[in-house]
Amino acid sequence: MNTKLGALTLVTFAFATLMFAQAGEPKHGGILRIYHRETPPSLSIHEEATFSVNIPAMGLYNNLVVYDQHKPQNSMGTIVPELADSWSVSSDNLALTFRLHQGVRWHDGQPFTSKDVKCTFDLLQGKAKDKFRKNPRKDLFNNIVEVTTNGDFEVTLHLKRPQPSLIAMLASGYTPVYPCHVSPAQMRTNPIGTGPFKFVEFKQNESIKLAKNENYWKKGLPYLDGIEFTIISNRATAVLAFVAGKVDMTFPTEMTKALIADIKKQDATAICEIGPINVSTNLIVNRENPPFNNVEVRKAMALALDRKAFIDIIYQGAGDVGGTMLPPPEGVWGMPPELLKTIPGYGDVQKDREQARAIMTKLGYGSNNPLKIKVSTRNLATYRDPAVVLIDQLKTIYIDAELDPVESSQWFAKVARNDYSVGLNLTGNGIDDPDQAFYENYACGSERNYTHYCNKELEALFDKQSVETDVEKRKKMVWDIDKKLQEDVARPILLHARSGTCWKPYVKNMTIMSNSAYNGYRYEDVWLDK
Amino acid sequence: MSIIDLPVETETADRPESVWSKVRYHLGAHPLGAIGAAIMAVFVFCAVFADFITAYSPTATDAAVRLLHPGAGHVLGTDQMGRDIFSRIIYGARISLAVGLGSTLLGSLFGVALGLTSGYVGGWADLVIQRIIDVLQSVPLLVLALVMAAALGPALDNTIVAISIPLIPYTARVIRSNTLALREQPFVEAARAVGMSEFRIAVRHVLPNTIAPLIVIATAQLGAAILTEASLSFLGLGVPEPHPSWGRMLSESAAEFVRTAPWLVIFPGVAISLAVFGTNLFGDALRDILDPRLRD
Amino acid sequence: MGTYIIRRFFLMLLTLFGISLLIFTMLRLVPGNIADIVFNAAGMIDVAEKAKLEKELGLDRPIPVQYVEWVSGLARGDLGYSYVSEKPAIDEILPRIPITAKLAGLALLFAVTFGVPLGVISAVKQNTTLDYVLRVISLSGLSLPSFWLGLLILMAFVAYFGAIPIYTNPPKGFWNTLWLFSIPAMAVGFRSSALVMRLTRSSMLEVLRQDYIRTARAKGAPARTVNYRHALRNALLPVVTVIGIEAAFLMGGLIVTETVFNIPGVARFLVEAIRWRDYPIVQNLVMFVAVVAVSINFLIDLLYAVLDPRIRYAS
Repeated sequence: MNTKLGALTLVTFAFATLMFAQAGEPKHGGILRIYHRETPPSLSIHEEATFSVNIPAMGLYNNLVVYDQHKPQNSMGTIVPELADSWSVSSDNLALTFRLHQGVRWHDGQPFTSKDVKCTFDLLQGKAKDKFRKNPRKDLFNNIVEVTTNGDFEVTLHLKRPQPSLIAMLASGYTPVYPCHVSPAQMRTNPIGTGPFKFVEFKQNESIKLAKNENYWKKGLPYLDGIEFTIISNRATAVLAFVAGKVDMTFPTEMTKALIADIKKQDATAICEIGPINVSTNLIVNRENPPFNNVEVRKAMALALDRKAFIDIIYQGAGDVGGTMLPPPEGVWGMPPELLKTIPGYGDVQKDREQARAIMTKLGYGSNNPLKIKVSTRNLATYRDPAVVLIDQLKTIYIDAELDPVESSQWFAKVARNDYSVGLNLTGNGIDDPDQAFYENYACGSERNYTHYCNKELEALFDKQSVETDVEKRKKMVWDIDKKLQEDVARPILLHARSGTCWKPYVKNMTIMSNSAYNGYRYEDVWLDK
Repeated sequence: MSIIDLPVETETADRPESVWSKVRYHLGAHPLGAIGAAIMAVFVFCAVFADFITAYSPTATDAAVRLLHPGAGHVLGTDQMGRDIFSRIIYGARISLAVGLGSTLLGSLFGVALGLTSGYVGGWADLVIQRIIDVLQSVPLLVLALVMAAALGPALDNTIVAISIPLIPYTARVIRSNTLALREQPFVEAARAVGMSEFRIAVRHVLPNTIAPLIVIATAQLGAAILTEASLSFLGLGVPEPHPSWGRMLSESAAEFVRTAPWLVIFPGVAISLAVFGTNLFGDALRDILDPRLRD
Repeated sequence: MGTYIIRRFFLMLLTLFGISLLIFTMLRLVPGNIADIVFNAAGMIDVAEKAKLEKELGLDRPIPVQYVEWVSGLARGDLGYSYVSEKPAIDEILPRIPITAKLAGLALLFAVTFGVPLGVISAVKQNTTLDYVLRVISLSGLSLPSFWLGLLILMAFVAYFGAIPIYTNPPKGFWNTLWLFSIPAMAVGFRSSALVMRLTRSSMLEVLRQDYIRTARAKGAPARTVNYRHALRNALLPVVTVIGIEAAFLMGGLIVTETVFNIPGVARFLVEAIRWRDYPIVQNLVMFVAVVAVSINFLIDLLYAVLDPRIRYAS
């Protein structure tokens, strides 16, 4: 058996090598055609918070540092230099100095200097004269006191306290460097970057076109002459377009397991990958108003959840049970399964529900006298479908829930007004990093801490793990925090979805990130073997 | 009510008197209408007795039976969440009927009120109402319903209101022209001579005489209302989940299964088309019987 | 005649004014505005920044002021800027109109080429099997949801031809354009052709009963000449009217069909703009559709007045 397996591995390996040899030297030229799932709000990455923007826009820009575009699992070890040739940390861990690449030019011909880096962070922190219309990630950079330049090619970030994961935030597709000389308003309509592709046009509902930056500072790149995104909002139509060869690639991480099976049936040569995207489906529970201000009711609801059923029904089994952090092996910081099992609601569903019913009976509810609630969620299929399953599951513990679909425009306003009892929400994490996840979603007073969960003790632990430089030690601390969050029913995590991407075999050098959906779209060395 | 002079009655004066024989006569004369009536009867039956017809709950999800082909057990198969399509279609009849009847009734109510006032009172009232009708008629029906649905939010009752508004102008127009003709009829003048108040004449004598065309219009609009609900739900507005609305069953998530599980797309579409087809057939026959002069 | 035209023209302006009021108020009644949506995409509401954006877009001013500003801009030919793309609204709307116009034109062409002849046949062969079959087909045309028909067509195309008639890039050349638009046009036009056919049939039947047709027959004119030369010509007038009205109704079918076939025309753009609460786009686009619908009706009224003198004296 073992030898057989060995032989198989060997053959596969040989085959892969052969393929690689055949593929040979990258070819220049060709337009990569990708379908886009919707019209993105703009191409100004700093002002937006959806990967609908990152995917078409990341190729326009460069970062100081970036996640290696061909290592699927983003981690501290995969961060590589980009506009910064190198960087160093001061001995007190309070200053981060970058030495910048020389000879880089913006798409409009202006030279790139350290001032642009300073401008970018000033904008992000609201210190610049011009302001972003909206600034969704300003809190990520709260720890930066000041940005100083030393000549045109050296820039230093000064920190309030040591923060090893700051560099991870800089490496995300969310943190490109913007030019000083272009206003935020112009960046929304006619973006200028230093990246491998130049902006050509953006037509709502129709297409986004990028063309090769002939003067790209990375010599010999990009290979592609351009990228065209055709906007197709109906997924079935989009799949048909891919199968019929009208596009070379599907929108990254938009294909469900069923759709991939269908694609493979139509076009056996298509290359499809399915993996986690670090977006969790979770419940926000109003802990300030009845009935969920009662910790017992919250506990009963947590016990009623059948997480596997959610994954099976909504994602055809393509998903993982976990806590706040993306579960291993793709996730770097997620709790190991042994630990997860010890949390109430993560064990045997039938037993847990028994317990939940006991709690509900004690509180005076029963099958004839169910607790009536509303489950609020955005009126979009990815939100609505799990909410429908939730309503079905809550029936088992005498909760009679009704769906309250909310127009997208009203959703966060409603949540901010505390006008809900249970909400079903999706939370995407730009980077697989505890600092981002904890501070953003669970810190007292954070704008995106929708439930106003506030636990000072736990927040002290957030700070403690944040300054920890030893990764293994930090992991243990993160697990403890994550476990506590789940036990407190702070924001019950239902599942972490997996979804897929397909491309035609002639698209080469395409890598899909396995623990983030926001960071892998520079596309400078993607090429077409046609 | 003896002075009411329905055109129907003069036409049928020489035919047998009993209601049933009249019905039998018309069924024979209008075979297509009979088919339409039968379809509508099935449709109403499903809506009323949904609880007794179906074996499964229309909202129960089950991972074990996702996307089952039509066959034994689940006659029409199951959807992506393991819900029984047959049950959803049967219960869906209830939603469609509620939306169809609700919005048609509401639309007729407003339409009649406006049309009657406009036609009977005349003058300024007529001018103003005519403008309102013109305005409503010049904005595309679905656009009007879309904005209304967005304004009111997705819920069953709001959908009914949203769909009823665009139905008003046509009813109002027809009622107005009927009223204009009736106003000059001898029996109205007779009532006036006896000293009846204008309001009483309008309600007691003119209104009943517009019932025939009203029924014809309302039947035609019933189908249009069901179609509009389907379109709204397809676009993501309209009746929300988990209500098993036919249009919603065809929307985004189902459209994804056009190839892999076509029954998800085919059966709800057939249900909508059949129900609307039935009302249209019936409406056509009704028009021929009640008012041969009234054409589209 | 002159006073009649002037009167009708002023009534038309009055109607347009009413439409502008209606759409403007309704849009403001829809909960949420662009600022809510913009921040929603960022997963939070920052009250101060939201207020700033509202101020920047002039959404903080009293509603009547906003209305006057819009209408006076409209009068000057200034449609304002799209909230979403921040480009002039006119530049967003204009390039999309020909796309939808092509689709609508083809659909109407389809409706007339099938609807009129079939309607005539149905009327001439009244109460024959052929008549029944045609009537059932036309009724089914009024019963199928056009988006469902579109989906079925897509399914059939992929199953039998492996090709897919959806819009991904602007088609090049006349034949490509025709091919790309004709399939969705069929999906929308089926309903219209059913309607045209029913109308042609009923107005044809009415005309066939008229005295002069009987006279023509009595004089021994061949049935063919009577049917096609005398009757059809007179029966067409009401049909033309309905085609005019149908042009506004077509919009509904276009919205869903453009969605199914991924056509970047104004109809789908309008839905998207409603979703984004992009007032300048929605208001101006609805006004555009209304102007088209109202002017068609105006022209038809004039046509009638010319053809039938009773009308202009009656009103």
